[in-house]
Amino acid sequence: MTDKTLLAIENVSISLPPGADRPFAIEGVSLTVNRNEIVCLVGESGSGKSMTAHAILRLLPDRTGVAQGSISFNGNDIAKADEPTMRKLRGGAISMIFQEPLSALNPLARVGQQIAESIITHTKPAPSREAVDARVQELIRGVGLPDPVALARSFPFQLSGGQRQRIMIAMAMANNPALLLADEPTTALDVTTQKQILALVKKLQAERGMGVLLITHDFGVVADVADRVVVMRNGRVVEQGTVDEVLRNPKDDYTKSLIAAVPGARSLTRTDRKITGEPLLDAVGLNKTFITKQGMFLPPRRTDAVQNISLGLKARETVAIVGESGSGKSTLGRLIMRLIEPDTGSVHFGGKDLLSQRGERLRQMRRKIQIVFQDPFAALDPRQKVGDAIAGGPIAYGTPAKEAMADAKRLLARVGLQESAASRYPHEFSGGQRQRICIARALALKPSVLVADEAVSALDVSVQAQVLQLLAELREEMNLAMIFITHDLRVAAEIADRIVVMRRGEIVEQGETQMIFQNPSDAYTRALLDAIPGRAMFAGPGARQAEAASA
Amino acid sequence: MTSASINSGGRVFAVALALAGWFVKFVAVVLVIATFNFILVHAAPGDPAQVIAGQSGASDEKLLAQLRAEYGLDKPYPIQLANYLKRVVTLDLGYSYRQQRTVASLILERLPATLLLTATAFTLALLSGIILGTLAGVRAGKWSDTLLTIVSLLLYATPVFWLGLMLVLLFSVQLDWLPAFGYVTIGVPMTTLQRMGDIGMHLILPAVSLAAVYLAIYTRLMRSSVLDVTHQDFIKTAKAKGLKQGRIIIRHILRNAMLPIVTVAGMQAGALVGGAVVIETVFAWPGLGRLIYDALLQRDYPVLLGVFLVMSVIVIALNLLTDTIYRVIDPRVSVRAAS
Repeated sequence: MTDKTLLAIENVSISLPPGADRPFAIEGVSLTVNRNEIVCLVGESGSGKSMTAHAILRLLPDRTGVAQGSISFNGNDIAKADEPTMRKLRGGAISMIFQEPLSALNPLARVGQQIAESIITHTKPAPSREAVDARVQELIRGVGLPDPVALARSFPFQLSGGQRQRIMIAMAMANNPALLLADEPTTALDVTTQKQILALVKKLQAERGMGVLLITHDFGVVADVADRVVVMRNGRVVEQGTVDEVLRNPKDDYTKSLIAAVPGARSLTRTDRKITGEPLLDAVGLNKTFITKQGMFLPPRRTDAVQNISLGLKARETVAIVGESGSGKSTLGRLIMRLIEPDTGSVHFGGKDLLSQRGERLRQMRRKIQIVFQDPFAALDPRQKVGDAIAGGPIAYGTPAKEAMADAKRLLARVGLQESAASRYPHEFSGGQRQRICIARALALKPSVLVADEAVSALDVSVQAQVLQLLAELREEMNLAMIFITHDLRVAAEIADRIVVMRRGEIVEQGETQMIFQNPSDAYTRALLDAIPGRAMFAGPGARQAEAASA
Repeated sequence: MTSASINSGGRVFAVALALAGWFVKFVAVVLVIATFNFILVHAAPGDPAQVIAGQSGASDEKLLAQLRAEYGLDKPYPIQLANYLKRVVTLDLGYSYRQQRTVASLILERLPATLLLTATAFTLALLSGIILGTLAGVRAGKWSDTLLTIVSLLLYATPVFWLGLMLVLLFSVQLDWLPAFGYVTIGVPMTTLQRMGDIGMHLILPAVSLAAVYLAIYTRLMRSSVLDVTHQDFIKTAKAKGLKQGRIIIRHILRNAMLPIVTVAGMQAGALVGGAVVIETVFAWPGLGRLIYDALLQRDYPVLLGVFLVMSVIVIALNLLTDTIYRVIDPRVSVRAAS
């Protein structure tokens, strides 16, 4: 160990409670983090990467613990340190930020108070209120947020996802930590915000000479920020090295597959899909304004979610609607499906006016437009068997139960699951498997349009690639037209024939996928392209296309 | 005029409008409740005129007709209802023909005792429930949690009157620590302070008996709520900040875990006022519960209607209070309610 070494984890195993599916969550894991460097810990869900980071601060779930190995920080073994020592480290010399900034902040306390709490806990003797307030504002300013005084008085729900994560970072910086543990800090954010947060982490790290252990499942992120990389799988380290070594010359097959899974890393082998004809679904001049009451004493707030948007979708075509959170892309998807009614505008489906349909005819039309949602955990009824969930739709439309269940089993097999999955409950499946179930459920009704609302955003990059592949196959088999709503241009590039870029309820640019990537005309589109993680390393579909074109 | 002053002017107007809107709703709800009360009371079999006549020993038709005319009982129900609602709007609760007093004076005489009993029982149940539930929640699975769970289940399963009687047997009859019944010791000259102490001693047993079931409910509810909050991400954040367990419980768990309790307690506070009848009977507590009971037996419609009305106003007021408390505790509420 050199004096540069800040954190050294050696041969650490974490035991799981008796009765778990395996005895150890992680086994024999060794890694180091030096001062002034960013180490990325990469792996899929369940690889043990999060457990490793939590073990450092001993924030492991109940009944799990470090069974063997040593964790040394600044030369002291902290794996067996007592509780008061650990408390001093937590939020002091070692701080941590988490994946979901909304749930990681106390919903009932002002964010300024939550930052102040961290300062007060670690400052002896207790500082004056003025000193704490001044420090809180300095920290908030330090993470690039405007108007620190007003912001400190906000509650978490009043902030955007990016702002919340900045607050989390400000809290983590409160006591000038030597080591920052960042557990998937950008996974819940959209691409542009992700870029800003990563840049902020990198800036703070460089300014303070901090060591950072950043956990991610996305090699794009790794390429952007990491100095060194540690790859984990099934609780073991499979490969580690400098970012150049690992990315350019991966040795382990698993690492290779993870790198290959990064959207945009693959070349676009798209043949012309020969999409012609009249639009199947034609939306013209859609407008939707949400009016939210602000409690008793405030005037209601107006949000123009969708403004004068027209969109056509031809049979078999896939159109990606791309934009940040709040751009109105999901509202547009719901308007087109008539899950919500537009204020003005028209939607025609197969030549018929969707908005004037009532009763049975509307029901028959709805059958043809199905949706897959973002969160595969919330989208399935936890007390309904998977088979019933899939067969439920066709049965409601008159298919005999037996036939519907047979179809459901066939569909399950088609989306890559066992037929026996039909008689199991959603909680028995992983996120990726659940999303496959959701796709099967949507397709059971044999729709001609599938709306995928951020359908792969909650999934690991590697699982994402598999689900995208599945969708690409299914749309050919079933002649599906797709509206693919996403915040991630990389993902859109993987599957879309045409891309529509939305911002603040309006379409800023639309065109063929390749055209958008090669010649983005709008500044916002360029910003989105620029925000693609790992763009320098993976070149991105645009650059690849450009090379191909020039060659 | 600056935009700020327009805003503040608009804000005052908005507040006035909101309050006016609330008042209109309040009056409407009270009138609907009063109508229901009227229908309910008159659906019960029995004729007040006959009861009064029976009391005075005579029951000839002429007297009955005279009584009915005197109290407006000979008119059709819709007219009686209209008359009644008219009186409700003018805050006139009517006159008890049985007691020969205004209903308002009867209620005012009994109301303080009931409010004292229920408020004490409610506070006791709520505070101990929150404390015990939190203790059980943070020690989930340990023996102290198991013990608290068993005790609260026992309390929950015990009939209120039986618990009251057993407490009397133990603390009044056997130990002679506390008075067995009544509101205040009669016939002893006392200073104000002594009188308050005396009422306090009389209050303990009925308040504890009344609180028991609710205490059990709040303990169970708080326990599961604390467990729920303990596993949320922001508790991990608090831990990662280096906070001590005690501070995490007080600053981060308690307030979040109390949200469901506030909802349930708000609904039960109203029910508690009406639910005190049994306890008031067991402990001869001179409150509204006894008044209703007697009025029911005597077909004393004006008293019944008056008590019902006062209780419904209390319930509505408590609901408003709950909403306000909820808003204070949870800043998200006004946003959530609108979306």
